[in-house]
Amino acid sequence: MPISPIQQTDAVRGHFFGTVTTNELLCREHYRLTVEVRDFPRSHPGQFAQILCVPDAQTAAVPADVKSLDSPVPPLTELSWQPAQPPPHFHDRFFAGAAAYLRRPFSIADRRDRVATATTAHVCELDFIYRVIGKGTRGLASMRPGQRLSLLGPLGRGFDVSPEIGPAILVGGGVGIPPMIYLAKVLHEKKIAAMALAGAQRRDLLPLKISPGNGPPAPVPTPSQAVDEFARYGFPSMISTDDGSLGFKGYVTGMLENILTAFSTDQRKRAVIFCCGPTPMMRATAAVAAKFAVRCQVSLEQPMACGMGTCQSCIIKYQPPGQKQWVHKLTCTDGPVFRAEDILW
Amino acid sequence: MIGWRCQYFTLAWFLGKLPIMSTTIGNLNASVTAPTPDISVQLKNLRMANPVMTASGTCGYADEYANFADLSKLGAFVTKSISRQPRPGNESYRVVETRAGMLNAIGLANIGLERFLAEKVPILEKMGVPVIVNVPGWSMDDYADVAEQLDQQVPVVAGIELNVSCPNVKSGLSFGTDPMRLAELVAHVRRRVTRCTLIVKLSPNVTDIAVTARAAVEAGADCLSLVNTFTAMAVDIEKNRPVLANGTGGLSGPAIKPIAVYMVHRVYSTVAKTHNIPLIGMGGIQTWQDAAEFILAGASAVAVGTALFIDPSIPQQIAEGLRGYLLRKGKSSIREIVGTLAMG
Ligand SMILES: Cc1cc2nc3c(=O)[nH]c(=O)nc-3n(C[C@H](O)[C@H](O)[C@H](O)COP(=O)(O)OP(=O)(O)OC[C@H]3O[C@@H](n4cnc5c(N)ncnc54)[C@H](O)[C@@H]3O)c2cc1C
Ligand SMILES: Cc1cc2nc3c(=O)[nH]c(=O)nc-3n(C[C@H](O)[C@H](O)[C@H](O)COP(=O)(O)O)c2cc1C
Ligand code: FES
Repeated sequence: MPISPIQQTDAVRGHFFGTVTTNELLCREHYRLTVEVRDFPRSHPGQFAQILCVPDAQTAAVPADVKSLDSPVPPLTELSWQPAQPPPHFHDRFFAGAAAYLRRPFSIADRRDRVATATTAHVCELDFIYRVIGKGTRGLASMRPGQRLSLLGPLGRGFDVSPEIGPAILVGGGVGIPPMIYLAKVLHEKKIAAMALAGAQRRDLLPLKISPGNGPPAPVPTPSQAVDEFARYGFPSMISTDDGSLGFKGYVTGMLENILTAFSTDQRKRAVIFCCGPTPMMRATAAVAAKFAVRCQVSLEQPMACGMGTCQSCIIKYQPPGQKQWVHKLTCTDGPVFRAEDILW
Repeated sequence: MIGWRCQYFTLAWFLGKLPIMSTTIGNLNASVTAPTPDISVQLKNLRMANPVMTASGTCGYADEYANFADLSKLGAFVTKSISRQPRPGNESYRVVETRAGMLNAIGLANIGLERFLAEKVPILEKMGVPVIVNVPGWSMDDYADVAEQLDQQVPVVAGIELNVSCPNVKSGLSFGTDPMRLAELVAHVRRRVTRCTLIVKLSPNVTDIAVTARAAVEAGADCLSLVNTFTAMAVDIEKNRPVLANGTGGLSGPAIKPIAVYMVHRVYSTVAKTHNIPLIGMGGIQTWQDAAEFILAGASAVAVGTALFIDPSIPQQIAEGLRGYLLRKGKSSIREIVGTLAMG
């Protein structure tokens, strides 16, 4: 039988139809979509849903913020006939505006449950936070409250949160930040101490609510920001931006190294890093974790066609320490969360 | 473009069981009073309660979709290709979405025959629907040895589909494009498969699919399935290289449907009808209307592939839709409409 890195046996999942309640812009290019779903099963942080990104049927027009199409239309020089004069980029928008065909995977960014009563059903409010980068996410951005949304979930194996962890170090980069918000909630429920490190290219690409002033004090002398998503659980947050427009200037892994350097051997032994972000960032985090001998779980990203373990598209090379040969594992069903040392990066 | 969108939304609404769907199942309501049309299908020894099956490689080995669809409602279940030895398959990226479809270059990654027999056959046995195992190979004996062992698995395994048409492996699999080699292969396997229905899955990557179809039928195939994916390519214009690690991939999904319908009709009218060989049609099927096109063009059964990634319960919805269609057309059996397309 396949050795599954993270054991979670409650494999209840299914096809659900939710109703969009909000779909709001959080910061540049990032939206939070909230969907009400009846009887959504138990889930774990790190699990995801496959969402059918059908654009709003009423809004035939493509949203105007199609980035890649903003290059100027080349002048027509050698045509002797008089071409029609479409509005700028009309053709580009029209053709690029086709609906996404396959579903798109998105991490569960949070959930709030209203338990069933004698008269009402169990309703789960699911949050997804996404960055608009292509036709699927563009379609998602056009969804309006009241619209129905089809999702498959909860999919995959989430983070392994065993109670003897302390502290948990949440490391999120870019669109890897959303699952950290859900993870923070579960850590809080389990009374596990945690701190959050969030990295982005620039301040305006951080899909987080950051208030002026300091957040909860960090255990090591690093400036802590008041990030609402983590401060609400009493967790300190540290921000890094590539350009230094907020917090630490540089990569989130630089900040992580500073923190681990200040940790005692005992703290390092008990700490666990939970990481999600772009692959190079996760690879770098895994290297820092190995250097300080700190346990680390990563939530990987691979192109996915099905998300249900049938198409074999989402493979990663898996080689736990001591095994002679790597094997392929499926990110969608064996992961997306793996132990960092088991991945052949 | 607009047409494609409309089709897309038909699917989305269909999935959503939104009010629009009442027009599609309106016919079903009537079935309460009128006699229910017979939609069962016989592919040689293989009996299917309805004409809709899964397409190889899009539904795993067994019960991966158990949480998403009632698999006992399938006409038949077709497994991922099972080779003699396990195969790791190609490097990543293995898939990319394209307009109205996708390219895949999985490279026949699979767990191999031994693990399939030990781990998956017991699960398939419980599913209670006929199972067709897809078999790839690199030599004639690769095919024949695996097929012979699977033939011992009757009644759980009811059909063997020879995959002579995967475009994503560099060596071999040219059986599908060379009629002489194909005939030789089918005759070789035929001698060792006596109980299962022997299906040959044709490649569309040929000049005239009727030629390979005829070769397979005359060499002893019980049934033909078509089409496999079309060899295709997507380019990353920033990196100036193909998107897929394999370079090329196979195109599937609604983009290929009209070509697949044509090919089914071509094979039906030139070979299958006269030899009384049933066809399994596939390529971009997402709705019962798509399936009906294939059936009128000459397919006795249909398979759903890529669309399963969007909703694994599509096959059972298609089966119900076909029943409603037959009722509306006043037909008592699906067999009455196979290949009845009026030409000219
Ligand atoms: C398990 C999992 C969880 C995810 N969770 C989230 C999440 O919570 N929020 C979120 O915003 N995104 C998340 N993603 C990524 C998300 O699925 C992609 O952003 C989405 O599929 C893009 O679809 P699109 O149609 O908008 O872009 P496409 O049109 O498919 O792609 C546009 C461009 O972006 C590139 N691209 C596509 N996907 C990725 C990727 N994953 N990484 C890097 N480049 C890519 C493409 O190659 C292309 O050049 C997750 C992915 C996985 C596998
Ligand atoms: C991801 C993927 C994997 C596939 N793997 C196989 C395979 O292993 N063997 C095979 O005979 N066909 C394979 N196919 C082809 C399908 O069975 C089918 O012939 C083709 O996709 C056309 O149908 P569709 O448009 O409904 O998907 C695969 C298709 C896809 C999309
Ligand atoms: S996405 Fe299909 S197997 Fe993982």
